[in-house]
Amino acid sequence: MTPLLSIAGICVDLQSGGWLSPGGGARVNILSDISLDLAGGETLGLVGESGSGKTTLARAVLGLQPTSAGTIRFKGADLCGPADFHAIRRSTALMFQDAAASLSPRMTVGQAVIEPFAIHHESVADRRAKAAELLAEVGLPPEMAARFPHELSGGQARRVGVARALALKPALVIADEPTAGLDVSVQAEILNLMADLKDRHGLSYLIITHNLALVRHVADRIAVLYLGRLVETGPTRQIFAAPRHPYTRSLIAAEPKPDPRRRRRDLAIKGEIPSILRRPQGCEFHTRCPVAKDICRSAAPALQALGPGHSVRCHFPETHDKGG
Amino acid sequence: MTDPVLSVENLSLRYRVPGGSLQVLRDVSLSVQPGEVLGIAGESGCGKSTLAAAMIDLTGANAERTAGTIRLSGRDILSLGQADRRRMRGRDVAMVFQDPMTAFSPVLTMGSQLVDFQCNLDGVSRREKSDRARAMLARVGLSDPDLAMTRFPHELSGGMRQRAAIAAALLMRPAVLIADEPTTALDVTMEAQIIHLLRELQADYGCAIVIVTHHLGVIAELCDRVAVMYAGQVVEEAPVDALYHDPRHPYTRALLACDPARIEEHTGRLPAIGGRLPDLTAPPPGCAFAPRCPLASDRCRTLPPPRVTIGPGRAALCHEVAP
Repeated sequence: MTPLLSIAGICVDLQSGGWLSPGGGARVNILSDISLDLAGGETLGLVGESGSGKTTLARAVLGLQPTSAGTIRFKGADLCGPADFHAIRRSTALMFQDAAASLSPRMTVGQAVIEPFAIHHESVADRRAKAAELLAEVGLPPEMAARFPHELSGGQARRVGVARALALKPALVIADEPTAGLDVSVQAEILNLMADLKDRHGLSYLIITHNLALVRHVADRIAVLYLGRLVETGPTRQIFAAPRHPYTRSLIAAEPKPDPRRRRRDLAIKGEIPSILRRPQGCEFHTRCPVAKDICRSAAPALQALGPGHSVRCHFPETHDKGG
Repeated sequence: MTDPVLSVENLSLRYRVPGGSLQVLRDVSLSVQPGEVLGIAGESGCGKSTLAAAMIDLTGANAERTAGTIRLSGRDILSLGQADRRRMRGRDVAMVFQDPMTAFSPVLTMGSQLVDFQCNLDGVSRREKSDRARAMLARVGLSDPDLAMTRFPHELSGGMRQRAAIAAALLMRPAVLIADEPTTALDVTMEAQIIHLLRELQADYGCAIVIVTHHLGVIAELCDRVAVMYAGQVVEEAPVDALYHDPRHPYTRALLACDPARIEEHTGRLPAIGGRLPDLTAPPPGCAFAPRCPLASDRCRTLPPPRVTIGPGRAALCHEVAP
């Protein structure tokens, strides 16, 4: 079966600094050799710390970020020019991280949810009825159509973002931190709404987040990024049960457990993600890795397959065998 | 039991807003023992940040206290004069904010700000203050404190800025440190490090810490005691273990139930708390949580809930909870 979205060997390079800054003009490698597949109806969670390139990857998929190598295929067709990307944006949608800021302050909610039709030059017979229908889909009353974004709560703004994303009946929704800044009870409502809509419309989701508790519940598969490189990818259940990359294991261990009886004694991971301008030699993670050896400092590991759909980029992937 | 270092007694506070007033704190009483770590949990709009700001008398100009007192080491801080209040802040009680970028001035170096923060320290030269600042930056885990002293806030990473903000708050060795969402703007790996740091600093300096956060994981990792707030009231107060393993107030139970980190298996669906927060311009006569509560009866909707003492250090604001 052809995957809905297939990314192969994507690289993104950017020019660093301006012509005034010393050393400016050097190419900085933001994303390096990322390959991922997303099947129809599947939810893929993209996780990593700030600066790992999660959002850049999502932007590259939609053609909002020029790539320097690699191919993106959507429903089996190569995307290579602005016209192709315009077409993919018709059947994909992006939910932005800051939902309230992603809505124009001068448009009412009703206008905002109808806007995608205008962008893609599609006529809507009854705009008011269409707006009400879209709002009903995300659990908002029709009166909401007359409101302006500043009159909405965080959860309501999120719902409007979902309604806007669904307007054109996309096959793929890319959600950038879909619940950032929301309270836990509202977060649950938004996730449940997204799950319902997925069942109803057969959507695929690419969820970008640093919230591991969230991906554990919604994602079928997860991909872990570190400094613009894919370090581990596999089925969610398998990765949480037995993470193979030391970075994945540290991320899972760093999540505070809401149980005072399981307080951690020591830190799973120290230090900060290095600057992408000073990418470490060898394996990028060796500066923070608890099991780094000499080879990790000199040679970059390749992505190796460990099992069906599970691969890891590490010289010494962790084994979870007894006594190992 | 020793005297609390900080106590809030029957505090009610409202914000003047166009067309009325918002009753953000309603009869809140809390106390913090010396060296204790108290967590204040709750969702947006429950009044937890207002309570934290009130503890250091930093509420905005539109805030109006309608009742209650706040005592710091036995002194009523609201009866102090302006100059005394300024001296109290930073020296007796200090605060760490959510966004460390806005806590520092963007036009001064970290070093000069950290020296200026010690203005209440009499008889100490500028050089000594600078040494103290450098030592404190090293203590909070900045790898190159000399370099950090010469940097402007925007030149530090988010995690380093938050460490520097904690250093700034501890410079005067306050008896109480108030931290309002100290890890919310940070990555999980940095969050874990800041939690670890706060725990170490608490052990070293013995100051009491009040952590305000919506993140139940942070509270479980760090606190000795927890107060859960809802709609401007403390609805449950308990030692941390009891709160997580035997929550008594229906709101606390609902809040814990919908935290995805507590549910281990992949479910796809999460429990949510239906309904909305009440309108605080006209709080309901009965229990504020009644419209969303599975146990609510007629009594809950009409009569204000009593404060039921459940055990030592445990209380809940509820009609239905058994003592």
